[in-house]
Amino acid sequence: MSRVFLIWAVTHSVKEVQSEDSVLLFVIAWTITEIIRYSFYTFSLLNHLPYLIKWARYTLFIVLYPMGVSGELLTIYAALPFVRQAGLYSISLPNKYNFSFDYYAFLILIMISYIPIFPQLYFHMIHQRRKVLSHTEEHKKFE
Amino acid sequence: MKLTTLGFGRTVISWMEHHHPTPLTLESSGWAPSWPWSGSGEKGPGTLRICRTILQVEILDAKTREKLCFLDKVEPHATIAEIKNLFTKTHPQWYPARQSLRLDPKGKSLKDEDVLQKLPVGTTATFYFRDLGAQISWVTVFLTEYAGPLFIYLLFYFRVPFIYGHKYDFTSSRHTVVHLACICHSFHYVKRLLETLFVHRFSHGTMPLRNIFKNCTYYWGFAAWMAYYINHPLYTPPTYGAQQVKLALAIFVICQLGNFSIHMALRDLRPAGSKTRKIPYPTKNPFTWLFLLVSCPNYTYEVGSWIGFAIMTQCVPVALFSLVGFTQMTIWAKGKHRSYLKEFRDYPPLRMPIIPFLL
Repeated sequence: MSRVFLIWAVTHSVKEVQSEDSVLLFVIAWTITEIIRYSFYTFSLLNHLPYLIKWARYTLFIVLYPMGVSGELLTIYAALPFVRQAGLYSISLPNKYNFSFDYYAFLILIMISYIPIFPQLYFHMIHQRRKVLSHTEEHKKFE
Repeated sequence: MKLTTLGFGRTVISWMEHHHPTPLTLESSGWAPSWPWSGSGEKGPGTLRICRTILQVEILDAKTREKLCFLDKVEPHATIAEIKNLFTKTHPQWYPARQSLRLDPKGKSLKDEDVLQKLPVGTTATFYFRDLGAQISWVTVFLTEYAGPLFIYLLFYFRVPFIYGHKYDFTSSRHTVVHLACICHSFHYVKRLLETLFVHRFSHGTMPLRNIFKNCTYYWGFAAWMAYYINHPLYTPPTYGAQQVKLALAIFVICQLGNFSIHMALRDLRPAGSKTRKIPYPTKNPFTWLFLLVSCPNYTYEVGSWIGFAIMTQCVPVALFSLVGFTQMTIWAKGKHRSYLKEFRDYPPLRMPIIPFLL
């Protein structure tokens, strides 16, 4: 969900940020993550999961996830002045629908939401890592 | 050997008493040998049904299977509610409302009214316990979640400081529809509060505590969002003017009356303090004739009220609130409809859950 938002509603919509380094940052992070993640799923379905893939999936996120989040936040931050200037996706009163929406404020809210959401997801993955990788250790011991 | 045939629930003294330390109760039971000349409830001459009166109950934790409580000398006609009360004595932090007892750790919760001897248990009944978490009464939740919007909307209507620019503090809108909207919105929530106090007969006493935060965020949040725009100094009245307002107001009023009629009809189905369920049918009140087409006309009317309010105020947040409410009520209506179909064989086939013929 955040992927679609970053790509469509931020990077594509605000052309000026497309040359930013932060875009490179999250694209690299996502690319590596996805290659590992989908290999993991594929091999799991084939019932032949190399330990390396499992390890990579549950370990590399430790670096890749914060990397991706940093890229995302920096990109949104870079887009802000352009959104404000162009009044992008915003509607103000008065209008016959009696509705207003400030995309600038919305983006700031999104950025703030990373504060509670990121730690939750990150620590969930750390917890999963402990469960999955130690389980494999035990398995190996009994072989 | 002294045997006396007595009516339901009175004790007899018999030679068997030597083998059972407590008196036997003479009553029909699931395990009694069935004598050929007596059906259940019949008491012909010389009819005697002897059964054990003692049941033992053990309560295990559904997750850890740890034995939490052992009750001996439990009457077979005890209800689950009574067992829950006994369990609370040994574990006072788990008051009955937060206990879920089941026959199977992953099975459905037993109802408070279920009678011990009617359950498929042996002489020692094993129940699995699950903690439902802190509970709060439905009445409390309803009152809180409805009082919020009533109060919050008025803050915006009276343009209390720090909402709109300071030059608008405590000013009044020049549009009639804005005043009308305040009356409608306030009336709606006052009606809900009064219904909660005097009309509704709740099946469940309590719900999980976290629901109050979830529900209040929803109601209070949307109320503030709607009220902000309707009472805004830059509010734009409906495109088709007084005509649109009048039509929308009529829809609103009709649906409010309809909704109230359904609540009264549902209340009359159920005697005070009971939890009986019956098929609702149309009454003399024309508003209840919607029961012919729909299982939950109260939801139908509720959606109708909000659509009316949305047309009257011509305000997108109101339309969104109606949409979200409609989605939730449809889910509830479908669930209710399914329960009706499961419970009653003769349920009228023409009825749809919430929208006649469609949904």
